[in-house]
Parts: sequence; structure tokens; C-alpha cells
Amino acid sequence: MLEILIHGAVSSAIYAMLAVGFTLIFGVARVLNLAHGSFYALGAYGAYYFTSHLHMPLLPAALLAIGLVALFGVFVEKVLVRPMRRSQLAVLMITLAVALVVEQALFLTFGSEYRNVPEFVSRKFTIGGVDVGGQRLLALGVSVVLIGLLWLFIQRTRLGSAILAVSQDPEAASYMGIPSDRIFSIVMALSAALAAAAGVLAGPFLTVQPTMWLLPIVKAFAIVIVGGLGSIPGSILAALMLGYAETIVGYTISTSWTEIVSVAATLLMLVFRPAGMFGKRAAF
Amino acid sequence: MLLEIRDLSVSYGKAVALENVSLSVAEGEFVAVLGPNGAGKSTLLKAISRAQPSTGVLDLRGESLQRYPAHAVVGKGICHCPEGRRLFPELTVLKNLLLGAYLRRDKAAVAADLEQVYHLFPILQERASQVVSTLSGGQQQMVAIGRALMGKPALLLLDEPSVGIAHRLKMEIFGAIKRIQRGGTAILMAEQDAQSALRIADRVYVLEHGRVGREGTSAELAVDDYIRQAYLGVA
Repeated sequence: MLEILIHGAVSSAIYAMLAVGFTLIFGVARVLNLAHGSFYALGAYGAYYFTSHLHMPLLPAALLAIGLVALFGVFVEKVLVRPMRRSQLAVLMITLAVALVVEQALFLTFGSEYRNVPEFVSRKFTIGGVDVGGQRLLALGVSVVLIGLLWLFIQRTRLGSAILAVSQDPEAASYMGIPSDRIFSIVMALSAALAAAAGVLAGPFLTVQPTMWLLPIVKAFAIVIVGGLGSIPGSILAALMLGYAETIVGYTISTSWTEIVSVAATLLMLVFRPAGMFGKRAAF
Repeated sequence: MLLEIRDLSVSYGKAVALENVSLSVAEGEFVAVLGPNGAGKSTLLKAISRAQPSTGVLDLRGESLQRYPAHAVVGKGICHCPEGRRLFPELTVLKNLLLGAYLRRDKAAVAADLEQVYHLFPILQERASQVVSTLSGGQQQMVAIGRALMGKPALLLLDEPSVGIAHRLKMEIFGAIKRIQRGGTAILMAEQDAQSALRIADRVYVLEHGRVGREGTSAELAVDDYIRQAYLGVA
């Protein structure tokens, strides 16, 4: 029971980091970013490359990877997405293209074999008789802190207010002197950095290989559909639901059944309540 | 001259929305633009705040605004209170007001201006922590005007501030607008309520089918036969 509680929390935390960034860029810029999973993959590969090829210590390697992915996110937003933001379909296509290009680039550079991202914490902890990897606990803690900081940033700072303003009415925001384009770039950087951080933190206990972008995007998608596209509280709650549902299914039925949970949740939600739990309207 | 517009034109595809409009606003002056629905009033205000591309002369204190994007015009001293208010519905009254001062770094002066807005519309102070979508239409209009004022404009653009608002609140809002002008802010107001506009504005332009039909001081136009028939309903 405690095992389910702890492992469910860890999965939920990783999912929340992925989903919050995904929902944020949609909520603010109306960009449905299929390349979001690529940011996660690039974060993990970045940490791997900087530590094993450039022999950097892990913490600077991780921060550098996250920073570079954030810059890559800004590049994707500014150069590729912005010219076609008027068309949701074009945005879907271009971000899918980015995801596929990143996958192929990773494949050509690193091959298809699994890579190891080093752990920040390698010892195991025993909590109430349950053995938990230190890296998993770290992922949980960092996720809670990062999402908390993001929430404070949005609610308490001037720039955060500007982000909320643009998400609610970009034209009115421009009448306040808020440059929407710069806000989009900032949000894309935050979104990509969160995904990369998830990749760096989960890399050691998940598989790092070129197609690793796909599963997270499916999960992020499921979470924001359930939570309501564009709603941060909704995506956190839905991440918890999905993380625990998968863990429970894994323990009670079989781990090979876990992946069906997110897909089933997406389908059911789209059929019965397309706006999600916290969404104000159907996103599609 | 604060705002100088000459031969300003706007078209949406093939449809011409504004055609060679010329208009000016002096420092501290209150100018109203009258006209029926679809005459181009909102388009004119949007062109001035650069939310709508246009051709022609558009100068603020002798500097052309045509090379600035919409968000940069605010820093030049023009604040736009748009049609339909366009508040940020999920934010509180206070956050909406403070977003109006987004570009300003002078915290003390911003706090003083917030006091001014509360003085002008006392109900907003009571409702400061309320989400704006819970306010009545008239109160929302007050937030919209207050938000535009928080940018400390030299020229305030008001797009139909009285539309859809109960009579008593409408009078209160027009009174507040007049006080804003007395405080030294120039105002360019698009309005359908000709009677109120002629009463409080210094000068009036009448916009019809995208062109300036009549112009003059409020006193002149109030006795103009055409205006009396078409806009004041006097036979």
C-alpha cells in the first residue's frame, strides 16, 4: 500500500512536470506543441552527453542541458511556430516535424541503444519498510519545488501577471504595452526547461533512447485533456490521478497494462467531457 | 498638436473601413467621434493605437506612430480603452488595474494613480480583490477606464464607454470622464450617444461610412440641423 503511495507520487511528479509546461504554452500561446516530448528527450540526452562525453560533473551538466533545451524551445517558437501560429493545424504539423527531426538526430548521433544518465542520488532509502531509490525521491522533491516556484512566479510577479493577461486576451494585453511575442518566448522557454528537467531527473530510472519522446507526449496529452487544456491546477490534479492510476494498475494487474490507462482516460474524457475537469470550454 | 491625423485610411481586404480621415486632438482637449454602427469609429481608434494597420499620417507630438507595434504605442502616451472593455476576466480588479501600469517603473507614482482611480470610482476599491467577471457591466467599464488611466496617458482613447450600461451608471461614467479631462488628460472618445457626447466634449467629428462628415465644436454641432435630425432625433 505504502509502496503504491510512494511510487504513484513519483510518477505523478514526473507527469506533472511534463504536463504543466505543455498546458502552459497552450494556455498562453494556443500552441499545441507535439515537440514537447522532444524537450524531455533532449534534456536526458544532454545530461548523458555532457557527463559521459565531456566528463562534466552532473549538476552543471544537468543545468547546462536544461538551459540549452530552453533556448532550443525559444528557437522552435520564434523561428518555426510563430510564422504559422494562426493555423492550429500548421502548428501541429511543424511541431510534429520537430519531434521527428529530433528523434532522427538523436538516432544518428547516439544510435538506438539505451543510454545511461547518471543518478544524483544512488543510495536507496527505506520509508516505512518500502525501499525507494534516492533518485526517485529527488525527482519527486524537485518537481514539487519547481511547480511551486512556477506557480508563485505566475501569481506574484509582474511578468507572471503579463503571462496571465496574454493568455486571457492577447489584444487587450497589447493595449497595456505587453509584447505578446516576447511573452510567448518566455513561456516556451519555461515549458521546455520543465520538460528537460523531467528528462534529466527521470532519465536514470527510465529508458533513454531516441523514441523516448513519444510516451511523455501521450501522457502529457492525456493529462491536459483530463485536467482541461490550459489549466495548471487541472493538469496537476490529472497528473496525480494518472500517476496513481498507472501505479495501481501496475501493482494489481500487470505493468504491461499501465500504458493503456492514459489512452483510455483520454478517450473517455473526450467522449464525456471534452473540456476536461477544469477547462472552460472544449479545446478542440 | 498632441495627435495629428491626415488622410488616414484602413481597409479590410477590399472593404474600405476608413477613407482619408483627418482629425486632430490638442493637449488636454476632449474630442468625441460620433457615428452609427459600422461607421469606422472603432477602426479609427484601433488604427491610432496601432492594433490595426493603416496608411496616412499618424503623428503624436510630431512623431510618427506608424513605425511602432501596438504594444509600443502605450509607452508613447496613448492608452486605449477598447470596445467591449476587454478586461482580463479571470483576474481581480486590482490586477487588471495594475496591468494597466505594466510599463511603468515608478512604484510611488503608480500607487498614487491607483488612489486617483479609486477616488474616481470608489466602488472599485471595495471590489479590488474580486474577479472582474463577477462585476456588473457598469463596474467593468469603470475597471476598463481605470486600467487605461493607470498607464498615465497623455491621450486616452475611449471606445463607446456607455454602451450597454444603465442610465444612472452611464451618467456617473461620463462625469468621471469629464473629471479625467480636467485633470489634464486629452480624450478621444468614440460614442453613439450623441446627446451625452455633445454635452461633455469640446469638439466633435461625425464619422459616416468611413469618412468625416461633419466637424466642429460641440456648441456648433448641437445646433446643426443635420446633426439634430440624424443624431439627436429632433425634427
